[in-house]
Amino acid sequence: MAVCVAVIGKDNSPKYILCLNPNQELQFHYRVHTSLDVVEEKLKATGDRDVRELYIGQLYSTEEHKIFGYVTNTRIKFIVVVESSNTSLRDNEVRMMFRNLHSAYTDVVCNPFYIPGDPITSKNFDNTVRRIMSGN
Amino acid sequence: MSVSKGLVDDVLFEFLHAELVSYVLNSSKDGKKGDVTSLEYIGFSSGYRIIERLTKEWPRFKDELETMKFICTDFWSSIYKKQIDNLRTNHQGVYVLHENSFRFLRKISSGRQYLEAAPKFVAFTCGLIRGALANLGLDCTVTAEIQQMPACKFHIQVQKN
Amino acid sequence: MSRQGTRLDPKKVNSELFTLTYGALVSQLMKDYENVEEVNKQLERMGYNIGIRLIEDFLARTSSGRCYDFRDTAEKIQLGFRTFLGITPTISNWNPSGDEFSLIIDNNPLTEFVELPDHCLNLKYSNILTGVIRGACEMVQMEVSSWFVQDQLKGDNVTELRVKFVKRLEDAIPAGED
Repeated sequence: MAVCVAVIGKDNSPKYILCLNPNQELQFHYRVHTSLDVVEEKLKATGDRDVRELYIGQLYSTEEHKIFGYVTNTRIKFIVVVESSNTSLRDNEVRMMFRNLHSAYTDVVCNPFYIPGDPITSKNFDNTVRRIMSGN
Repeated sequence: MSVSKGLVDDVLFEFLHAELVSYVLNSSKDGKKGDVTSLEYIGFSSGYRIIERLTKEWPRFKDELETMKFICTDFWSSIYKKQIDNLRTNHQGVYVLHENSFRFLRKISSGRQYLEAAPKFVAFTCGLIRGALANLGLDCTVTAEIQQMPACKFHIQVQKN
Repeated sequence: MSRQGTRLDPKKVNSELFTLTYGALVSQLMKDYENVEEVNKQLERMGYNIGIRLIEDFLARTSSGRCYDFRDTAEKIQLGFRTFLGITPTISNWNPSGDEFSLIIDNNPLTEFVELPDHCLNLKYSNILTGVIRGACEMVQMEVSSWFVQDQLKGDNVTELRVKFVKRLEDAIPAGED
């Protein structure tokens, strides 16, 4: 379902990026970087109601991809990239992906041997993300 | 895949905290192993991580004051079984949390001679608050003022950067 | 001051806070002591200090009487796990003379979020449990020893804690009596 997932830390540096197609990795690093600016803009948006939700919706789209974002209360950003050709993807499926990502991330933080701010190297996390990306 | 998750009984946390304080009280003279800083740091680490879990389903905090109120109400009562009795602020980054009956001070005597040991019973909690706020984006110093046990005041100073 | 958002469940929060605090303690001990064996020993010692007090709480809550035999003890330890950790380990692998058994644990709350890094392979993460058992049993006049045989953190399917009866301790004669 998703072709790329990124976890960005409080300092706006990536803690984890997974691209199903390694050739697209560089391109996605760039996309994720651009996304952060859009995230900041959306968070500043007036209109109390919108900013309350952790899921901030579609950030932008290109011909090939749609990019979605989510920001936790602890300022961690999740970016999910899906192919534009995937028209059957429903809004609640995207929300579910983020919720599962959030849960998986929370588990990583609760590992006493993980130092917050470090890159995420957890095998469990990696397996979970792969599962989420394939739509499970 | 889901395995039934056991819930650890409250009393174990009491015992663990008491043992942490004991470890610190009986530390070697050079202070290398287990001084109050370690205890505060254990609290910091725990607070930092638990807030990640606690705010998972929570709507986004609007501002600093809303974050503090969360700490004083939902956060505090889920850990210490009651809300903070009073929250004072100068609206310029200083907050004082009044706790009339602090969980870890209730078990020790109110005599003045125990006042010396009292800081060790609040160190973990100071760290807990500091860690929770740090993960929510607020870098603070947190100290505790104990005048009349079991009452306690937590002073939070938000660092401006 | 109430606002929308799921109410936090105090029991769950306390349970998670315990797990996280224990994790932070293990982490801190790894920094304080140069070698892992020292950490294992310190965890056992802290467990012992908790065990000698925890037993009173256990006896009061479960109205437990004296143990008739070691099988009885095994069941009481199992009950202790249920009372304090909310899990029920399986008792198994009794030896022929009936003075040694295993507790099979497969959802240890202490290790809920833990992933052991490669440099910690000799760390007995849950060693506090061996101390708790030793301390609690000592207070009811029994000397036991326990150790981990399998550990889920190290890739085993289950965590297996072995408990062995060493000897009965003489009832201490209170000072001042003949």
